[in-house]
Amino acid sequence: MTDNIKVISPTTRQEGHAELRMEVDDEGIVTKGRYFSITPVRGLEKMVLNKSPETPPVLCQRICGVCPIPHTLASAEAVDSTLGIEIPNAAKLLRRATLAAHNINSAAIHHFLVAPDITDDSNFVAAVKSVSNIRKNVQYVVDMIAGEGIHPSDIRPGGMARNITPFTKDKLVTRMKALKPDLEAHVELIKNLVLEAGLPKDLGANLGDSVPFSPYASYGGNEFPYEDLTEVLPEAWYEDPEVGKRACTQIPLLKGKPQEVGPRANMEVHHGRKEKGVIAQHVARADEMLVNYNDLMEALDAIDTSANTMTNWKVEGTGELGFGVMSAPRGFNVHMAKVVEGRIAYYNALVPTTWNIPIMGPATEGFHWELGAHVIRAYDPCLSCATHVMVVDDEDQSVIKNEMVRI
Amino acid sequence: MVLGTYKEAVSARATDKDILKVSQDGGIVSALLIHAIEEGIVEGAVVAGKKDGEKWRPEPGVAMTKEDILGAAGTRYTMSPNLTALKEAVRQNGLEKVGIVLTPCQTLALRKLQAYPFARFVADKVNLAIGIFCMENFPIAALDTFSQAKLETPKDDVDKMDIGKGKFWITSEGEEKGLGLKFTHGYEQAACNICSDYVAEFSDISTGSVGSPDGWSTILKRTDAGKTIFDSAVEAGLIETKPMDEVKPGLPLLEKLAQGKKDKAAKELEKREKLGLKVPLVL
Repeated sequence: MTDNIKVISPTTRQEGHAELRMEVDDEGIVTKGRYFSITPVRGLEKMVLNKSPETPPVLCQRICGVCPIPHTLASAEAVDSTLGIEIPNAAKLLRRATLAAHNINSAAIHHFLVAPDITDDSNFVAAVKSVSNIRKNVQYVVDMIAGEGIHPSDIRPGGMARNITPFTKDKLVTRMKALKPDLEAHVELIKNLVLEAGLPKDLGANLGDSVPFSPYASYGGNEFPYEDLTEVLPEAWYEDPEVGKRACTQIPLLKGKPQEVGPRANMEVHHGRKEKGVIAQHVARADEMLVNYNDLMEALDAIDTSANTMTNWKVEGTGELGFGVMSAPRGFNVHMAKVVEGRIAYYNALVPTTWNIPIMGPATEGFHWELGAHVIRAYDPCLSCATHVMVVDDEDQSVIKNEMVRI
Repeated sequence: MVLGTYKEAVSARATDKDILKVSQDGGIVSALLIHAIEEGIVEGAVVAGKKDGEKWRPEPGVAMTKEDILGAAGTRYTMSPNLTALKEAVRQNGLEKVGIVLTPCQTLALRKLQAYPFARFVADKVNLAIGIFCMENFPIAALDTFSQAKLETPKDDVDKMDIGKGKFWITSEGEEKGLGLKFTHGYEQAACNICSDYVAEFSDISTGSVGSPDGWSTILKRTDAGKTIFDSAVEAGLIETKPMDEVKPGLPLLEKLAQGKKDKAAKELEKREKLGLKVPLVL
């Protein structure tokens, strides 16, 4: 390694393992940044093949413990979609409330992870306490509605296993109303800490020719522009052959362009915000907590606790590829499933951080390399779900078969 | 101690006529749960409810009101896996303080759930475990055999089932018929034969008919939680009591049966071990 290449490996305070490789000039300014996942494969997309349609949400939620709810929901929605199931309205509302509560929780976890970057000891304890308070309350909502806060048991193809009782609905509404002042104070606290952290204004604003991708303003749906999707192998994407060989994810493009996902992209698409960079990411993530809060309260309020939440469905299905496109904390999480003769014939997950990987590296360019980790962390990367596999020759380690399985 | 650890034993009966109309013996379980719900000691309770259209098949469910509790009153001599409803009770039913009615084996399972971190935020919500005396339990098909085949009364026509005085009793249209317990042996679940707990030794409070006169129940107050709630129900006038040593047949019979179950279980375990069967670690 020469002096003009700086490597941070693994990058820290994120989920999974990745490497940030930066070429720098004499002043230490990054001239070329590349970020790639080195997280090993988990293979869940293959495990669900030939299993019953109920299986993917159960297995695929275990892709990761950081955003298990979006994985469960994307999986259930993809299966619903390929089976042509229209779930009952009460189930839709329960799912919506679950996701909104989870997304608030996940943003709070990220605030814990970045707290050392944006505050000194004076505010650290206050920030962490605020994070814990919010997490405890919103996770309670997920626990009650979906059965478990981490890997929910009650989100199923066809709807939700059970409805909540009126007693529970009242309890959740009361508890969430009581949380609102705390949540607003938390958002203010984090935004102020970010703005006063002394980060350069345009740090991370180099987004190249990427396009913000945010197909749904909240929750998600079953529409995905599959015909626009191309996926590039890492060897073809990264100029440096060594990086190309070691990178564990492929690069998804829509209409040939990288897609930026996450809170900032959501804010640009749905709320008209144009700011880019690390500060904009953090501010957008904090503000999105309130967007999710409103979504949660709307859904909770509308839930009819006496309504049925499960459809009687048949395994025959449409035979078409079904999509579950979920607004996850780190961006859109897309699961695709096809059921043929009652069994999963095809399964593919295109997860949030995969979209951002080609964008995060170049976003470090133009600033001192020591700020690189700030740029990466602003995207809240979560890599354990984003890996593909290769078959390598035992003796000379050459790639025999490069199969793209992104889990 | 053959009856497990307890602070005090009394004989007791509910005072509420609504309860006594539907209760198996003294109506203690119903009275305690209704009192606990009305006083906010628990928010609801997991009980053996009744399955629609099948009056002798219990179905674990969550009771939130006096009506719910009364709807579940009375013993059905077949398994009701009440712990399976515990999770739903603390999740979609939103209960943070839960009462639960359990057989001795289920009580042990609950305490294990609480001692080991098997499930997050589930068993720790139970703050009142009412244990019921239990010698053995029958599959539902066995109840058919007893009533239909042996006592020639269709199960659906039976109004009450009871075990006492050495017999399995059914009451139908006011008429009582008894079947000697030697004829029910062999029908019980195999696991019951190696169970050594008759009186739900790990509950907060245990209750059952044995030891007290007809229409009354024997109570073993075991933990602070169990004693507190029982005493407050007595103070509120919901339960009347008699000292245990003033009633017949009293604790000696209970102790005899409890010891008998332990001895029988030990013998059966020894027999199974000799046969090379796997046997669980039993207390």
